[in-house]
Amino acid sequence: MRDVYAVGIGITSFGRLEYPLSEIAAYPVMMALRDSGLREVDQLYVANMGSGRVNHQTGLASAVVDTLSLTPAGAEVIENGPASGASALKQGFFAVASGVHDVVAVTGAERMREVNNLEATEFVATLTHPIAESIYGVTLPSLAGMFTRAYMEKYGVTSRHLAMVAVKNQNNALLNEFAHLHQEISIEGILDSPESMTNNPFVADPLRFFDCCPVSDGGACVILASREVAEKTGRPLVRLAGVGQATDTHCVHEREEPTDLLAVRRAAKAAFQMAGVGPSDVDVAELHDAFTILEIVESEEAGFFKKGEGHLALERGETQRDGRLPINVSGGLKGRGHPVGATGIAQAHEIVLELRGEAGERQVEDPKVGFTCNFGGFGNNVVCLVFRREN
Amino acid sequence: MSREIYAYRCRKCGHLHYPYRMVCAECGENEHNEFDPVPLPKSGTLLTFTDLYALPADFEVPKLGLGIVELENGIRITGQIAVAEPRIGMKVRGEVEVVRTEAYDSYYGMVFREA
Repeated sequence: MRDVYAVGIGITSFGRLEYPLSEIAAYPVMMALRDSGLREVDQLYVANMGSGRVNHQTGLASAVVDTLSLTPAGAEVIENGPASGASALKQGFFAVASGVHDVVAVTGAERMREVNNLEATEFVATLTHPIAESIYGVTLPSLAGMFTRAYMEKYGVTSRHLAMVAVKNQNNALLNEFAHLHQEISIEGILDSPESMTNNPFVADPLRFFDCCPVSDGGACVILASREVAEKTGRPLVRLAGVGQATDTHCVHEREEPTDLLAVRRAAKAAFQMAGVGPSDVDVAELHDAFTILEIVESEEAGFFKKGEGHLALERGETQRDGRLPINVSGGLKGRGHPVGATGIAQAHEIVLELRGEAGERQVEDPKVGFTCNFGGFGNNVVCLVFRREN
Repeated sequence: MSREIYAYRCRKCGHLHYPYRMVCAECGENEHNEFDPVPLPKSGTLLTFTDLYALPADFEVPKLGLGIVELENGIRITGQIAVAEPRIGMKVRGEVEVVRTEAYDSYYGMVFREA
């Protein structure tokens, strides 16, 4: 296998975008090509989950490759639910590593605000098991609510810990010009004040409004290339060093231990193994905090903290931007937003930015190793990536 | 006639699955249809639950109780929880009822009440 480098990155603003889905996917590719100085690609992967259902458009990759005038490059859509982004990066990685392609553009895009919040939630709920979950009214927030209650009971996580994740990530997002939410919040405001009863209602008890990520439009792109191409670009050398994926039962109720996220544990382990580093080597991480509980649990399953102690590390401030292991300095899904197909690539975008030292006001101190966890379904298909800076 | 929800027993190793799967998760037996349907027991223990307030549009109620129950035979099931004050570990008993009506289709599933 050849080494694979992230040579160009691009991103749109996240939030509500008033231009078509194909342009949300294409614009970050233009930015990434400009960033890398490249003009052509051998292959385009488009990570997307909802074009057919939400936007009534199929064959998205063909539309994107054409509007970018990149024909006759190959082009496919990669769909793996909310982990489509990292799955597409995985495909791009193997395309370059195998020696078949030298330059692969991997973009992710979603235009979910075309429908209202409830319809968007219903669209994402089509991920659940049709006859054993979906028919009951099960949605992703309800699976997260059930998971959170079991976690609280077993490990002593409280609503206050969850609110600490929300506050940290939304306040990190204040320094990210592309983030969906630019709204400063405090524990007092969303948990303790009388107004919290109305500004932070239950969505899926014990999860409240501020424990859930927003529904966003947005796109992000990372261009992957061989070392030979990467050296010619003259950009800092950031290697996609580890790719790990693991699946778990479709039905959440079939998991042996209801408080485990085994697919995260296995995907992270595989990614670290390929990269030749361990969790203690990681300097900056982007985790899939679609719900606040997930950041805490993923930080444990990835091996950064002991199982059941992620909330204690959070209490100690270890995951703050200036902490021992900054998590979600971009704002995470909570603050940056969660256009499902784009999220895994937006995570990689942030890590490349940090490893290059180009993250501006939110730059963490001299990171060498970065990690992402992109969580599909309710943990039934997880892709983790490890990036390393080489010069 | 009482309605049932079925688990599926592998004819080769006896492992029970809910819901149905095409290949046995225990022994990997992959002959087609080598499972016998077994009605699920109705009594069990509540493992976790939530009150869902952001409901799919076809639910005309302000909130919906959902939970995971471990049934007497160890099989777990997701279902609706019609209990005023649910607690983890409480004994519940299920009935097969209409759990969702979409357009002209009614779907049956397990609704649990305090045992």
